[in-house]
Amino acid sequence: MNFDLSEEEQVVAELAQQLFSDLAQTERVKEVEEADGFDRDLWQALADVGLLGLCLPQSAGGSGMQMVALAQLAQAQGRHVAPVPLVASITASMAIAEHLPAEAALLTATADGSEVVTAALAEAGANNPWVPTVRATIDGESVRLVGTKPAVPALPIASHVLVSAVVDGRPALALVDTAAEGVTIEALRTTNHEPQGHLTLDTAIDVRRLVTTDGALDGLLHRVLIATSAVQLGVCEGAVAHAAAHVSTREQFGRPLSAFQAVTQRAADAYIATEALRSTVLNAAWQIDNGDDPTADVLSAAYWASEGTQKVVLAAQHLHGGLGSDVDYPVHRHFLWGMQLGGALGSATAHLARLGHHIATSAS
Amino acid sequence: MDIGDSPEEAAFRAQARTWLEAHATRRSDASRPLPLDEHVPAALAWQAKLHKHGWAGLSWPEAFGGRGMSSVMSTIFNEEMAQFEQTLGPLTVSLGMVAPTLMAHGSPDQQRHIASMLRGEQLWCQLFSEPGAGSDLAALSTRAVLDGDTWIVNGQKVWTSLGQFAQYGILLARTNPDVPKHKGITYFIVDMADPGIEVRPLVQMTGHAHFNETFLTDVRIPAENVVGDVNDGWSVARTTLTSERSSIAGGGAGWSVETLIELAQHTGRANDPIIRQQLAQAHCRSVALTAMGYRVRTAASRKRMPGREMLTMKLAYANHWVATMETAMTLLGGNAMLAGDDAIAEERWQPAFLNQYAIRLGGGTDEVQKNIMGELGLGLPREPSTDRGIAWKDLPT
Ligand SMILES: Cc1cc2nc3c(=O)[nH]c(=O)nc-3n(C[C@H](O)[C@H](O)[C@H](O)COP(=O)(O)OP(=O)(O)OC[C@H]3O[C@@H](n4cnc5c(N)ncnc54)[C@H](O)[C@@H]3O)c2cc1C
Repeated sequence: MNFDLSEEEQVVAELAQQLFSDLAQTERVKEVEEADGFDRDLWQALADVGLLGLCLPQSAGGSGMQMVALAQLAQAQGRHVAPVPLVASITASMAIAEHLPAEAALLTATADGSEVVTAALAEAGANNPWVPTVRATIDGESVRLVGTKPAVPALPIASHVLVSAVVDGRPALALVDTAAEGVTIEALRTTNHEPQGHLTLDTAIDVRRLVTTDGALDGLLHRVLIATSAVQLGVCEGAVAHAAAHVSTREQFGRPLSAFQAVTQRAADAYIATEALRSTVLNAAWQIDNGDDPTADVLSAAYWASEGTQKVVLAAQHLHGGLGSDVDYPVHRHFLWGMQLGGALGSATAHLARLGHHIATSAS
Repeated sequence: MDIGDSPEEAAFRAQARTWLEAHATRRSDASRPLPLDEHVPAALAWQAKLHKHGWAGLSWPEAFGGRGMSSVMSTIFNEEMAQFEQTLGPLTVSLGMVAPTLMAHGSPDQQRHIASMLRGEQLWCQLFSEPGAGSDLAALSTRAVLDGDTWIVNGQKVWTSLGQFAQYGILLARTNPDVPKHKGITYFIVDMADPGIEVRPLVQMTGHAHFNETFLTDVRIPAENVVGDVNDGWSVARTTLTSERSSIAGGGAGWSVETLIELAQHTGRANDPIIRQQLAQAHCRSVALTAMGYRVRTAASRKRMPGREMLTMKLAYANHWVATMETAMTLLGGNAMLAGDDAIAEERWQPAFLNQYAIRLGGGTDEVQKNIMGELGLGLPREPSTDRGIAWKDLPT
């Protein structure tokens, strides 16, 4: 048993921290937010050092690493709230590499940064991504896709989107070219300025772009949940660091705010929630790579990411007083990211409901 | 990173399991906690058996009679042992707190006790807390005065767990009142058979007399029983308190999320969505604790001091305990109020519910831990104190 990062994983963590702290400084993030929310220079820099291909097979120009390494990269991104569609593009490309190896050209293009891919997994209404609603009908060599997907991350800047769909009552994944006929994208404004879009499909794809393998959707959802949770971990770390720095220096009643226990104890609670998230994210990442059935570990981490992060970013925001809500001050980004990501693929209660079913059923 | 057992660890686990199956009783629905006066001798006998078969002191240095293995191995053994009825609970102070303190600070003579503890021959208690010194432990006022080569001790201790059974105690007493409070404390080993020691059991709301008031009147302690240096007892006590936190956070609880789920199933509530949500939350907390445990153990096996991780884990453990007991009490409903033999099969839950204060208060209360966390985890300035630099005798009382 060894919970320390391997040397290779450590290198990824350091490289990512370095890159984001050099290139995702607050001024730059602000500039990108005011444009379209996608930092293309940073994206290219990530590609140039090989981080976009981190989890792709070597045959596609990647490094063949797995979730523990991706968690390092995602965490560093969250820490710097860097505006790039990292999780969406890397997890979608991992699924493509696994199930659609014939898409070699697309994979190479995602690794070298020239194309962004994403996955459309969320559902309208109760948002149960395990039960897709887009209908896929196979007709010889082609597959007809009809339906809608709300709030797809990075959709306006993506060349391809992996859509979760239902075929003969079973979940499937369909690779769709965003420029194809019958694909309608409505760009959305989001609170954290991340580009998103609604997707409406009334289109056809080649049957070779349909994945019906058992467990393919589960696998993708697990990876997206854990990579997103790792971003949340970074978001929390950043929020806690901002709060600690602020309450140590801001003085009221003749002393630093940290001299008041109501302040310190709330900050300590945020610290504990962040540590719980750190431990569960790493555990779940490892279980995805190595475990027999990572479901319960993934859902536990996703719960901490939704519930814990909300507590952490609320505390950090609150402890900043009025300063926190001024957009010229950086901490609010952690709040916006934390809240937005926390609801992306189901809220804390949805994760609990699913987990409750899983553990209370399998134990009986 | 690799969370799984290495081949060597897996082999060790299998070996441990086989031995336990042959020598211990697997936990079942019929398992009941022993009353304290039976539990203490049973734990000592179990420790003696572990020692005889080479399972004691797995990660302790060989110089102290241990097996010199990595701390991961002793965790593996404890994980396996947790599935059996036999526990070492009453030996927590001896094995979990005194032994590590003596290893770090004891004289060679004092360290001889370690081998006796390993053989299950000694039970120790902790004489730290006083009526006037709880969280502010360093304010303690039990006095020790040197007379020739013997210290004469007078004062009162309180909440002394298992003091009525112990042969030895670790004792903090004031040896210099003229310096600030942390600087005039000495750490002693005391023989509980000394005629000046009177132990009066205090009955807790669990119905058991687990802890005591301890009165010390002209207790005589030979000078060689000072652990560390005279007036440097605080730094020795810190080792004990750190060990105490990790003993609590890593402690075998006698309940688990699986048993909570079983309780929900027995009471026909496992499909209630609100209960389900609470079961899932309990599971999430337990996953977090397990993963925190991986971090602590990895650090320990690499000789790094997992200070922050330990603090976090103790607090997370206390939160887990409290919230889980709330769910258990909800599930038991009116039956939760039945005590002792009248309690229904799920008897283990009431004592655990009532005992939550041991977890929340012992080894430093939740609030005190969070204050420390502010400094250690968040790098906040130290809490302002009103008594820094003031001699103990001049402190307002
Ligand atoms: C079951 C059990 C077994 C025990 N066994 C032993 C034993 O064997 N040996 C031994 O020596 N002791 C033992 N203790 C005592 C234990 O260490 C103390 O209870 C603990 O240190 C708290 O001290 P106190 O009870 O005096 O509470 P207090 O210090 O009076 O605290 C009361 C409340 O005030 C809060 N508080 C105090 N100071 C602060 C602060 N600075 N900031 C914020 N909040 C604060 C506390 O968090 C707590 O909620 C045991 C206690 C229990 C419950």
